[in-house]
Amino acid sequence: MNRKRIRLWDLPTRLFHWLLALCVAAALISGQVAGNLIEWHGKIGLFIIGLIVFRLVWGVFGSTYARFAQFFPTPAKVKAYLRGEWRGVGHNPLGAFSVFGLLGLLALQSASGLFGNDDITFYGPLFDLVSKDLSNKLTSLHHLASNLIYLLIALHLAAIAFYGHVKKEKLIKPMISGWKETEHGESAKGGGLVAFILALVIAGAAVYAASGAWLPPPPPPPAAVETPSW
Amino acid sequence: MKSKLILALLAITLAGSAAAQVKPEDAIKWRQSGYGFMAWNMARIKMNVEGTTYNKEEVIKAATAIQAIANSGMGALYLPGTDKGTGWEKTRAKPEIWTEKEKLGKAAMAFNKEANEMAKVAAAGDAAATKVQLGKLGGTCKGCHDDFKIKD
Repeated sequence: MNRKRIRLWDLPTRLFHWLLALCVAAALISGQVAGNLIEWHGKIGLFIIGLIVFRLVWGVFGSTYARFAQFFPTPAKVKAYLRGEWRGVGHNPLGAFSVFGLLGLLALQSASGLFGNDDITFYGPLFDLVSKDLSNKLTSLHHLASNLIYLLIALHLAAIAFYGHVKKEKLIKPMISGWKETEHGESAKGGGLVAFILALVIAGAAVYAASGAWLPPPPPPPAAVETPSW
Repeated sequence: MKSKLILALLAITLAGSAAAQVKPEDAIKWRQSGYGFMAWNMARIKMNVEGTTYNKEEVIKAATAIQAIANSGMGALYLPGTDKGTGWEKTRAKPEIWTEKEKLGKAAMAFNKEANEMAKVAAAGDAAATKVQLGKLGGTCKGCHDDFKIKD
């Protein structure tokens, strides 16, 4: 067995991963506490949208193991993995479900938050685009989905612990250093500076769109009319 | 003796009819009006603490309005059976309001306390302190919404 070191996770993928972990934790806490943290909750949500969109672009133009096509869990791959015959590198077929599941759920969560309201003082940046009734429904969805997020995070952490202790495969270290010791596979290629800048620009545009900064400002109160003393 | 009995009967009838005067749909309407009016005043305070200018008088007016509603005894509007029904819109009161009275009371009293504090802070006129207090007050709204209000 000749083991070698390969470049597995590129730097943008790792940065994305840890920033997302940090932001999701901050969003869950600020959402639960609300009160003075609710404005931060909104800002963190916008940042998460940027991260997710960045990852979607990076899943196409990033380096080898960051690409969705590389780890997409086809039925054949899943079957092979369950039989213990999968010999790939990077996200294994079950891990791929976790990637798509978390990305999808967090996308749904941050998108629903854009239109939500708390019936106190917080209104999502795109609240004005929907009716109050729809906003309430999306807020309800936002609350329900937060439970699913806790569940998927627990599953994610349990899987890491399982791989570390039972299968003796350390998953955290490569996610920090980017390097992995392996018998198969080649170092990741692609995902250069141009791809990185492209992903950043598209992510920035998505955050701008989500922030509602482009919405027309509310009309100013009619001038010359004085506020009555009563 | 007979006149006393009649008087007592009359008193009971009057008392009964006085309570019956609040119709369920009115109770729901007034509840919703109270919260809706408070929403305007919460938004007014928010506008002042986030905008470029802080209008002390505006904030005092808004905080006073919220304090008044908080201390108006709105709990009386949660008549038995009004977990269903329509006021200005379908009520979003959860049945737990009528079954978990102790928990509800705590949430309501927390809100009263912060609403009173809000009025004091507003009177002092410090924008930063008002912002912090608005967050605290909003937190007590959430304290009730989380457990006692249907989300959609």
